Amino acid sequence: MSEFLPDFRLVRPQSLDQAITALQSEPGARLCAGGTDIIVNMRRGLVEVETLVDLSGIADLKTLDLDGNALRIGAGVTLRELAQHPGLIGPYQAIAQAAGLVAGPGHRQVATLGGNLCLDTRCLYYNQSHWWRKANDFCLKYHGDICHVAPKGNRCRAAFSGDMAPALMVLDASVEIIGPDGARRVPLAKLYREDGTDFLMLKPGEILTAVHVPVQRGKSTYDKIRVRGAVDFPLAGVAVAWRQDADGAHLFQLAVTGTNSMPINVDIPAPLGKDEDPDPYFATLEKLVQKAVSPQRTSTIAPHYRRLSVSALASRLARALI
Amino acid sequence: MNTKLRNGAAGQPLPLIDGIEKVTGRAVFTADLDGADCLTGRILRSPVSHGRIVRIDVSKARELDGVVAIVTGTDCALTYGVIPIAMNEYPMARDKVRYRGEPVAAVAAVDAATAERALELIELEIEELPASFTAAEARKVEAGQLHEGKPGNLEREVHHEFGNVADGFAKAALVHQESFDCAEINHAQLEPHAALAEYDPERHRLTMHTVSQVPFYVHLMLARCLEMESSQIRVVKPFVGGGFGARTETLNFEIIVALLARAAGGKVMMRLTREECFLTHRGRPNTKVTMKIGLDRAGRITAVECEAVMAGGAYAGYGLVTILYAGALLHGIYQLPSVKFDGYRVYTNTPPCGAMRGHGTVDVRHAFECILDRMAREMGLDPFEVRRANLLEAPMYTANGLMVNSYGLAECLDKVQTASDWHDRRGRLASGQESRQGSRRGLGMACSHYVSGAAKPVHWTGEPHAVVSMKLDFDGSVTVLTGASDIGQGSSTIVAIAAAEILSIDIGRVRVVTNDSVITPKDNGSYSSRVTFMVGNAAIEAAKALREKLVNAAAIKLEVAVEDIECEGESFFVKGANAASQSVLSFQDVAIAALALEGTITVKGTFTTPVKAQGGKHRGGAVGSTMGFSYAAQVVEVEVDVDTGQVRVEKVWAALDCGFAINPLAVEGQIEGSVWMGMGQGLSEETHYVDGLPAHASFLDYRFPTIAESPDIDVQIVESIDPLGPFGAKEAGEGALSGFPPALVNAVADAVGLDANFLPLTPDRVQAALIKLRKAARRKEAAS
Amino acid sequence: MKRIISLKVNGSPVEDAVSDNMLLIDYLRDSKGLTGAKKGCDGGECGACIVLVDGRPRPSCITLVATCDGTEIETIEGQAQNGRLTPLQRAFHENLGAQCGFCTPGMIMTATSLLRDNPTPDDEQIKEALANNLCRCTGYVKIIKSVRRAAEMTQEMTKVTS
Repeated sequence: MSEFLPDFRLVRPQSLDQAITALQSEPGARLCAGGTDIIVNMRRGLVEVETLVDLSGIADLKTLDLDGNALRIGAGVTLRELAQHPGLIGPYQAIAQAAGLVAGPGHRQVATLGGNLCLDTRCLYYNQSHWWRKANDFCLKYHGDICHVAPKGNRCRAAFSGDMAPALMVLDASVEIIGPDGARRVPLAKLYREDGTDFLMLKPGEILTAVHVPVQRGKSTYDKIRVRGAVDFPLAGVAVAWRQDADGAHLFQLAVTGTNSMPINVDIPAPLGKDEDPDPYFATLEKLVQKAVSPQRTSTIAPHYRRLSVSALASRLARALI
Repeated sequence: MNTKLRNGAAGQPLPLIDGIEKVTGRAVFTADLDGADCLTGRILRSPVSHGRIVRIDVSKARELDGVVAIVTGTDCALTYGVIPIAMNEYPMARDKVRYRGEPVAAVAAVDAATAERALELIELEIEELPASFTAAEARKVEAGQLHEGKPGNLEREVHHEFGNVADGFAKAALVHQESFDCAEINHAQLEPHAALAEYDPERHRLTMHTVSQVPFYVHLMLARCLEMESSQIRVVKPFVGGGFGARTETLNFEIIVALLARAAGGKVMMRLTREECFLTHRGRPNTKVTMKIGLDRAGRITAVECEAVMAGGAYAGYGLVTILYAGALLHGIYQLPSVKFDGYRVYTNTPPCGAMRGHGTVDVRHAFECILDRMAREMGLDPFEVRRANLLEAPMYTANGLMVNSYGLAECLDKVQTASDWHDRRGRLASGQESRQGSRRGLGMACSHYVSGAAKPVHWTGEPHAVVSMKLDFDGSVTVLTGASDIGQGSSTIVAIAAAEILSIDIGRVRVVTNDSVITPKDNGSYSSRVTFMVGNAAIEAAKALREKLVNAAAIKLEVAVEDIECEGESFFVKGANAASQSVLSFQDVAIAALALEGTITVKGTFTTPVKAQGGKHRGGAVGSTMGFSYAAQVVEVEVDVDTGQVRVEKVWAALDCGFAINPLAVEGQIEGSVWMGMGQGLSEETHYVDGLPAHASFLDYRFPTIAESPDIDVQIVESIDPLGPFGAKEAGEGALSGFPPALVNAVADAVGLDANFLPLTPDRVQAALIKLRKAARRKEAAS
Repeated sequence: MKRIISLKVNGSPVEDAVSDNMLLIDYLRDSKGLTGAKKGCDGGECGACIVLVDGRPRPSCITLVATCDGTEIETIEGQAQNGRLTPLQRAFHENLGAQCGFCTPGMIMTATSLLRDNPTPDDEQIKEALANNLCRCTGYVKIIKSVRRAAEMTQEMTKVTS
């Protein structure tokens, strides 16, 4: 751990074009939005940057449009704004709830939606000082050749720990990405891959600029498992969206964070019938969640606990929505 | 002389006399000292848990531009430590390293970046040795030995028996034994360690500013390790951001920064990172407690047997005191006819443990209060009643020779029982009506106590235990000089109140100067809750000496006998007259008259612990001995989420007998803070090592409670008026801590029927235990 | 790399050349001598370094000063006017909201922002606002009380003046 940050050049583009140009022309450039994660990681020597491209000056990234048809949130909208937005209720409630549960209020002032979606994965063998990691021969995610969590495996198991992704995934969100080859849109779930080192499917020079959420009915909610009532990253977090079909059956969508190297959708094959006994249904739902997640020893809290508690939380949230 | 006692200063809530500095940002902490002309010091730390140092080559680092000094273990061949017979630690490792993070070398450079680069250039070759991280591993025959002459890595074992335990258990109607595993914890005081050392090579003098709770001990160790005359050293303590025991002994970085300053012939600032603070550690050790208690039919304790095994880390530190406290403070709170204690302090290849708030008592008190509760349940007794059946009657001596002079536990029990509406609420909670979905509520209680200063200091010199000087000068102001370290607990304010009370003056006349070895009298420091009792008494004595001089001067001026002088507030007059009469002297008049007799007046007061308070004659008998114990009772209400294992503390009711509350505001603050710190240990705090590397060395991973999960704490003060305490006061800052974890565990048992034998009650542990409990219940059901 | 930034610190406009990699806390402490904001952790965890940037609480130990170009910074040192305490400072002092005082500057700055947004917060709102200001001494009980008391004092003062 250093008292100081390593040398780098800071670029503060005023437009997306300038940002993309900066990303392309500067070797080793990295993006910084609110900085609440990357600056900490830089202080720990986890990120080596020659150029830091600060996105906080780009007005285009900071808009939120919500109308009867859809919701579009710029990547630069802060978590505080999301948590307090009067329109993020009912079907969109999970977004505000997830945002309001990230870290602490001081972080949420500047931490952004885009930053949280691209939040670096976390692991007890990785989020440590240089001295610590060096004493431990580093790891797959940083200059080492084994994963201490799963030494026999061939990939990094660091856990994706953003709260926003599941809340948006259950609403079928897609992300807008702009890069050297122009703009593209992909379902949010397709932004990620199950690899702690290389978990984002972004090409060099690309910037995640906005999230689109199609029109919603019903309700949604998000909550997380953590030891303390604030500050902590999720040991596991779960978002649930609910709506009723024409026959009055209950349809759920469910996504989980904190348990894998990417946020994951949990497939719920069947709706809960209007007059169906909910208990066996939710017991099955819990089993589905337990099967879908694969928490690892990335934290001092046992993986088994994270599996059991996230499934319990999932069914509790789902029950509360109907 | 007649003085109207209680002129109003003592017993009134008073904001801290240094509080304005704290709320305006003007309070200067060590790291805030001007570092503009300082070199930056950084420490190279061992990457391995146990090994022989084969080679340290600093030549490349020395060549780096901007590097001014480098020191290694070869620069200090003398050990340091807090217990004179157990100093086995070098400021930087020599020959061997014994824990990951142990200092091996240090650099002073023009800036932090250069110092950091220099550390990378130091070549360190270590031949690894087998390491042990738990007491059980370390005690095995085949375990690597940390220190020569310590087979089984046993630092110290203690075996005490008072009364006849076998007889006691034979008399018992019920005997119950359980084992508890209490995790290691850290103080996590908010201010990271820092020190500024300045060495003047022309005068060969060293000036040290440091975050210490014990500047005097730092002074001693600097003189020893730097082989300097102590007269050439000056130690100053600026504002200190909490301690809780982390700074009750000299710490390696304090000696290292001094060595660097001398090597550089200049000024070196060292600010440790939070990770380094966790490596410096000195926290509460992991303790495994096995305890057996016997009760007779009336719920009276007949015998107690306790074994405690502590994983103490790599060096002795306070270790032997910790293990002795664990045994000694089984006594002093309840009537115990027979007690057997077997304690084992074990070396492990982890950062050294030390003293932490509630030193030595917390984990054994935890086991005691949990078992007592479970036995009460088995016997159909109310938890309050079983405690009441075992109360002491002061004055008395315990079986191990501890003096109990005042005892307010009964009143503490009454207060929290009433305040928490124990009987009614316990019933209502049991019905589950007040719980949220998936959760159950419960109430639990426990008692605790703590010493008001150790009757014998660890460094025995024969001097008085505390000295306070007071100066009165031409301006009519009173300056109190004390070496007592205010680390946020408000000790300077206590000293000021004592002076104002005895002198019957406005507290605005009093200024307190603290902790500069060239100005203030020596003080042993802020630990074992000694300051209010010892320094408070010394301040009273000093003020009385000053008062005598004032009354004498007034008598001369008014031409009457000393006995005829009466005082009211700041007025002096002849007995029988009144404050409005002609011949009334103001404080300023009397001060001038007194100064006319001898010039600037300086007086001092001292405090020496009476021999009768110094404990039993057995080996180790001094530990635990004190002039007075504080007593506390508390009730904790919890809500347990049966699915996620999350435990939420809804409310706490705490009562503490502090003898007399000299400053009730500060007493409340101390009770709240200690109860809350007990909550941290109970709920979420623990260290966690991965092959000796700390996986807890940040405030994200060392999870002490945030404001979000911190409950309201209802505080009640009980005043038993201790015969030896200053104005009757005893300690207030530690006694309530050790009651919280057992009250929490007892409340969880009340809520969900789980008897947890582990600390902390993290959700993963609670969930696993609940699953086990449910499985056992199902098995039982299937069998019947 | 260095750049010139202009900002307001406690009401006074300043222009300074700062390194790109300089943290706001180091700028305040080392360049401006404003040591009220503290470093209690290794990055963003304890809140002792919180200052207000354009009126909003910000952990200054994870904020680059170069990104504060054009902003207004408020620190604990700028709170008392002519040496007289603000209601929050007074309430923290009188109600023992500060014990060791190390978390206090961050605590008061965060609370300052809270009371500007919400002059009459309830306990839950106070807890929410102070959730990343860690304190190790008080158990937070008197901190909550201090903020509540400051709100009352401000209300009383407003009544008197209106």
